Amino acid sequence: MTAIAWVNLVRLFRDRTNIFFVIIFPIILIMVLGLSYGAGFAPRLGVVGGAGPQAARLVTALERSGQTLVRVGDDAEARELVESGRLAAALIIPPDYDRALSRYTRIVLPFVSRNEPSALQMGAAVSSVVGQVTMPARAAAYVRDGSFEQLVARAEGTRVPGITVSAETIGSRVIPESVSGFDIAATSQLLLFTFLTSLTGAVALIETRQLGVSRRMYATPISTGRILLGEAAGRVAVALAQGLIIMFGSALLFGVRWGDPLGAAALLLVFSLVGAGAAMVFGASFRTEQQAAALGLLTGLGLAAIGGAMVPLDLFSGTMRQIAHLTPHAWALDGFAELLREDGTVVTVLPQLGVLAIYAVVLFGLGSWRLRAVLTR
Amino acid sequence: MRAMLLITAKDLRQRVRDRSLLLMAILVPFGLAAIFSLVFGDVEDQQAPTFVVADQDRGQIATTFTGQALAPLERRGVLRLKKAGTEQDARTLVERGEAAAAYVIPAGFTRDVLSGRPATLRVIGNVNARIGTFVARSVADAFAAEVRYVQVALAVKGGGSPQEAVAVAAPVTLENLAADRRQLSIGEYLSAGMAVFFLFFTVRFGFSSILDERRDGTLARLLAAPIPRVTIAFGKLLGGIVVGVVSMTVLVVAAWLLLDARWGHPVGVGLLVVAGVLAATGVMAMVATVATTAEQAGNVHGVVAVLLGVLGGVFIPIQQMSGALEVLSLLTPHRWFLEGLADLHGENAPMLATGPTLALLGFATVTTGIALTRLGRMLRT
Repeated sequence: MTAIAWVNLVRLFRDRTNIFFVIIFPIILIMVLGLSYGAGFAPRLGVVGGAGPQAARLVTALERSGQTLVRVGDDAEARELVESGRLAAALIIPPDYDRALSRYTRIVLPFVSRNEPSALQMGAAVSSVVGQVTMPARAAAYVRDGSFEQLVARAEGTRVPGITVSAETIGSRVIPESVSGFDIAATSQLLLFTFLTSLTGAVALIETRQLGVSRRMYATPISTGRILLGEAAGRVAVALAQGLIIMFGSALLFGVRWGDPLGAAALLLVFSLVGAGAAMVFGASFRTEQQAAALGLLTGLGLAAIGGAMVPLDLFSGTMRQIAHLTPHAWALDGFAELLREDGTVVTVLPQLGVLAIYAVVLFGLGSWRLRAVLTR
Repeated sequence: MRAMLLITAKDLRQRVRDRSLLLMAILVPFGLAAIFSLVFGDVEDQQAPTFVVADQDRGQIATTFTGQALAPLERRGVLRLKKAGTEQDARTLVERGEAAAAYVIPAGFTRDVLSGRPATLRVIGNVNARIGTFVARSVADAFAAEVRYVQVALAVKGGGSPQEAVAVAAPVTLENLAADRRQLSIGEYLSAGMAVFFLFFTVRFGFSSILDERRDGTLARLLAAPIPRVTIAFGKLLGGIVVGVVSMTVLVVAAWLLLDARWGHPVGVGLLVVAGVLAATGVMAMVATVATTAEQAGNVHGVVAVLLGVLGGVFIPIQQMSGALEVLSLLTPHRWFLEGLADLHGENAPMLATGPTLALLGFATVTTGIALTRLGRMLRT
């Protein structure tokens, strides 16, 4: 039995391309994803112009208000960047901004944005900063008694009670700040690849059947039960190997944390059992390797997308989140999130472990039943 | 010419008989595109944030804030407003995430402002609604600046009425210039990404079927025929191109009909698809010349196609990539294909995506050229 499992594992790594897909590719993907999550999704505001002192003030104030600014060469380029989505919006400050302001000529700043909620919100924020920065100039325009510079200086020096805006935030953070982009990327890729490699690895099971290896095994004095157990152990070994490579690889290379080691190990083990069970079903149900490989890819990537292993579940709407929990991925993600975000232990993730165990039992039952049928035919 | 077409036709017959091609070229990419559209379309669906107002003052300044600062923004669709009776109600709505932020206008607010005492307008934001909270704060700041302006203006002038001060127009205002959206929706982006990703697997059979012929021993017979070697190569390449164009057309049309994807002008999209297929065929042909057996070619193809796909932004939209990765992505046909589709997207989009189409044709020329110079190596028996 161990021999069957071992042979399956050796077969996985004998093929050199598998080394790429099992080891190098997941790590590359975690790196790319981790880097792009780390960069954050902050919408960027383009700014054209802003050379004079008054204009420079406006730009500084925008920066200080928390906007991520990008300097853009000219109007056409700004429009191009906004249309293609690289900038959320762009503010165009004309070259004669300073002169017009000091001569009390009204200035209209073109604000290039797409008609979408995020761009409209940015417009409201930018408009607010413009109002605040040009307040002294407006006061000067009201007074008109002296030079522009003098009046602005006087307005700036005037202390008034005004209105204080106090801001606070409440609620609990869905993703704590201590959880890095790499943590999120590694957890989701762990699940995606463990399941995907299990399914594409099911090709080996079909090969075993096609090459007649299984018939020859059946002819030996080993019981069918033991052969099945051996094949199952082989599938589990493949899934676990993939999972462990990602877990340790990401921890060593990117410092990814997995929370309570016992809890993480338990989740990985049970999830590997689910993957292995699915692989048994696949290996028993398809006739050709190509079929299994193609549908394995579809199922592996499809379930990962639905289950929240591509875009975090936190971003899903209510209904989609319910649908997501039809997949084992979503439950495992919940488990890992509990370990990492709430400092959970193996005990607090028992519900997730339980659900995953049910998946594993059902899939294994189905898989062994089908496999027994095709092996003994 | 006839010999070339014969080779192509024979290859195509073989491909059509092998049903797994249908799976990999059409079913899998379309299935994934459908799933991705469902999941990511749901995530992308952004709405204006809801702000709650708990007005405990009900005075003149408070109603100015709600009526003249907030209400116009609601009319323009920037935000949605909700009223709350008490501060506690407002906090609960924010805490539950039903509102992005709350404004609490304390009792006595108007009286304090009018009599020149310090007044406070409170903004309570949900910790997860970062942008919503930021907007709420900005709107409050803008209103505070307006009040401060009146007070400063009157102080500097040493007289006058608030009404006169307010009548002076703001010196600088924003004018919204609507920009087109020349960007694919997430669903469209991923549909197109999957199509171009699997295209590389679809077209690879064309050129590398030379290796199959060698394995099956038919290559020697083909070479013995009185046809130039280049003809054999082009016949093989053409087989891949035909399958590629057909599968891409099916995918593009299916996404349009079934997934509600809106591509640009058919001529531009058609040219882009053909250029993309040529580029993919060229890249895969070039890669195939490295291999000596069909199996080896399959392995190298898999690695190259996956790496180019990841770098080209098939799985992660390019807009989210950071600097170095974005530059690297320019080296992949995937990136240019997706960018071309984005260029063609939108109401005032051009009919042709000239730049990306030419870039793809450049890929095709260079890679096919390299593949042909290494043809001798491929055609050894």
